Amino acid sequence: MLGPGSAWYLAVAAFLFGIGALGVLIRRNPLIVLLSLEIMLNGGNLALVAFSRHAHNGAGQIFALSVMAVAASEVCVGLGLVVAIHRRRLALDVDRLSELRG
Amino acid sequence: MTGGAWLCLAAPLVGAAAITALGTSIPRRAAAWISTLSTFVALAGALWAFFSLRSQPGHRGELTTAWTWLQSGNFKVGLELLVDPLSTMMMLIVSGVGALIVLYSVGYMDGDDQERRYFAYMSLFVFSMLMLVEGGNLLLLLVGWGLVGLSSYLLIGFWHERPSAVQAAKKAFVMNAFGDATMAFAFFILIAHTHSLSFATDFHLHLSTTATSLVALGLLGGAAAKSAQIPLHTWLPDAMEGPTPVSALIHAATMVTAGVYLIARTHPLFEQARTVELLAAGSGALTLLVAGLVALVQTDIKRVIAYSTMSQIGYMFLGAGVGAYANGMFHLMTHAFFKALLFMGAGLVIHALGGEQDIRLMRGVGRLMPYTKWCFLAGALALVGVPPFSGFFSKDSIVAATVNLGWYGWVFWACGVAGALLTGVYTFRLWFLVFPGEPSPFVREHHHRHHGLEGPWTMLLPVGLLAVLATIGGWIQWAPRWHYLTSWLEPAARTLAAAEPTSSQEYWTSAATVLAGLVGIAIAWWVYGREALPVPEAPFWRRTLEHKLWFDELYDALFYAPSAALSNWLRRDIEEQVVLPTGPDLGETALEAGGVVRRLQTGLLRTYVFFLASGAAVIAVVFLIVK
Repeated sequence: MLGPGSAWYLAVAAFLFGIGALGVLIRRNPLIVLLSLEIMLNGGNLALVAFSRHAHNGAGQIFALSVMAVAASEVCVGLGLVVAIHRRRLALDVDRLSELRG
Repeated sequence: MTGGAWLCLAAPLVGAAAITALGTSIPRRAAAWISTLSTFVALAGALWAFFSLRSQPGHRGELTTAWTWLQSGNFKVGLELLVDPLSTMMMLIVSGVGALIVLYSVGYMDGDDQERRYFAYMSLFVFSMLMLVEGGNLLLLLVGWGLVGLSSYLLIGFWHERPSAVQAAKKAFVMNAFGDATMAFAFFILIAHTHSLSFATDFHLHLSTTATSLVALGLLGGAAAKSAQIPLHTWLPDAMEGPTPVSALIHAATMVTAGVYLIARTHPLFEQARTVELLAAGSGALTLLVAGLVALVQTDIKRVIAYSTMSQIGYMFLGAGVGAYANGMFHLMTHAFFKALLFMGAGLVIHALGGEQDIRLMRGVGRLMPYTKWCFLAGALALVGVPPFSGFFSKDSIVAATVNLGWYGWVFWACGVAGALLTGVYTFRLWFLVFPGEPSPFVREHHHRHHGLEGPWTMLLPVGLLAVLATIGGWIQWAPRWHYLTSWLEPAARTLAAAEPTSSQEYWTSAATVLAGLVGIAIAWWVYGREALPVPEAPFWRRTLEHKLWFDELYDALFYAPSAALSNWLRRDIEEQVVLPTGPDLGETALEAGGVVRRLQTGLLRTYVFFLASGAAVIAVVFLIVK
């Protein structure tokens, strides 16, 4: 098999996922939160593709493609929400958008 | 032949549907005439069926199936009509007497502001009754059975603004529902054992003795409830709350005699369970005595006739129960004539007196209403069984049929003769109180004529026709000499050998019952006509009879009071103490629990994500440890 072993790919994927998760947890700007979310998803995609190659099974790659499609739609909705929030002159800060508090 | 039967069945249904569908777009009079026309068409259909059956050799009849109505496994019921001597006879009685009574209603109900509803119900009733007698299997018979119960309920409660009418309607419905339930149980047993509800099943091949007795008991329960026989009789006198033509049609001529038809129709089964059949005869004998006694003290003109109806149906049950089906059916026919006549005569009197029904106020009506008087007299003589009026021929043959049955036959015989005496007394008590003599001040004050006549022609004509029928209707059969009706019914319901008396037995039974009837008339004349004897003062007996032997009070104490007490207890101690507070309690508990959980919803996105991530981490660690 050419190139580095699957473990390396998985390590990179976990690294990406961790960076994304930290971003979602720490940042308050919804734009950055969405961006971090994309990084998490791509970490997941990388893991899927790595496993797919490891197992000689194309299904994982197909999954990765579906995840991309879903991610694209999700970004559309997310960015739309960000624009809508901005239009209503609300603060772009996820901590202050807390009207659903119980 | 079957065409006539279908026409007979369909016409009243079409009439009822037309009146209902046209509603207020037609005048009230038109609704009345649609209903009348539809019942006369039914009569034409019945005549068609009768004459084509007569021209058929053997008169065995025919079963016609329109389509398979329902099928379940090997149990199959078709929508089928049976045209045989028994059903044709009933079709003629129902549609013939029915047509006359509906015609009478045109005059009687004129001016009532709900005439359309009345005539729609009447047509529905005629249809239901024809369904009952024409149905080619027990299930269709039950359909008709239920529908006549419904239309009877609707018509008893026709004047629904009167609380007493509503009460009476409910009572009739509940008592009949009891009978319907026992019949349904009988059918369940039949279906379980024979997979069929056909009349032609060979019951003795498929049913054990116990099962046969249970089925016969169930059918007898239905018959007794519908025909107001003891112990299910208490609804009939109250049913007089309905309009008088309804009493004449449903509660005298047709529906209440359905029990007799049922016994005659299912006689092979009753013959397999002879004890139950004799039980029917016994209940008839008891009813004819009790109802005759109670009729002695009633003061409402319609209630006297109602008790007399119960008593006469007792005779029919006696006849059908001992196995003389043709005699029972014969009395059913003559009774339909003279009892409808008596009710409609009473209706003419009530109509002319502006709705008054108390016979103590009525003395001397005959002076002002001679036509009604003579017609009523014909009916009364037929009821008592004075020759040559129709009741003489039919009632005597029933009493004579009991003599060959051993000791209980003699008990039945004695009951029959005693009943004839009572019939004479109560019928002519009514007659002497209402018709002869000088008109009482009440009658003078309230009597009014209808355009110079005693009533509208639509009322007078049916009364006259029925008076003729009540006089000559019995001539088709005189048991010792000619047996037209018995031989006509023979293919459908052959009289049991034990219930065939010899000619001499017929003669002396006739002599005894006629004598008893005449003695009864004489007593009534001495006490109420000439007033030569005072009415016997027997306070206890009078009170007992006025309370109808305390049957209502007994049923109240046995059934109504316990269930009302139970319901009240359930309401007070269960509903109010337990059920009602439970709902709010449940709601409050849920609210409190929600109050605890709602603190978790901080509204901060990052806490949610934190919990998600830490949850995923915990699961991952657990997986790693467990592996």
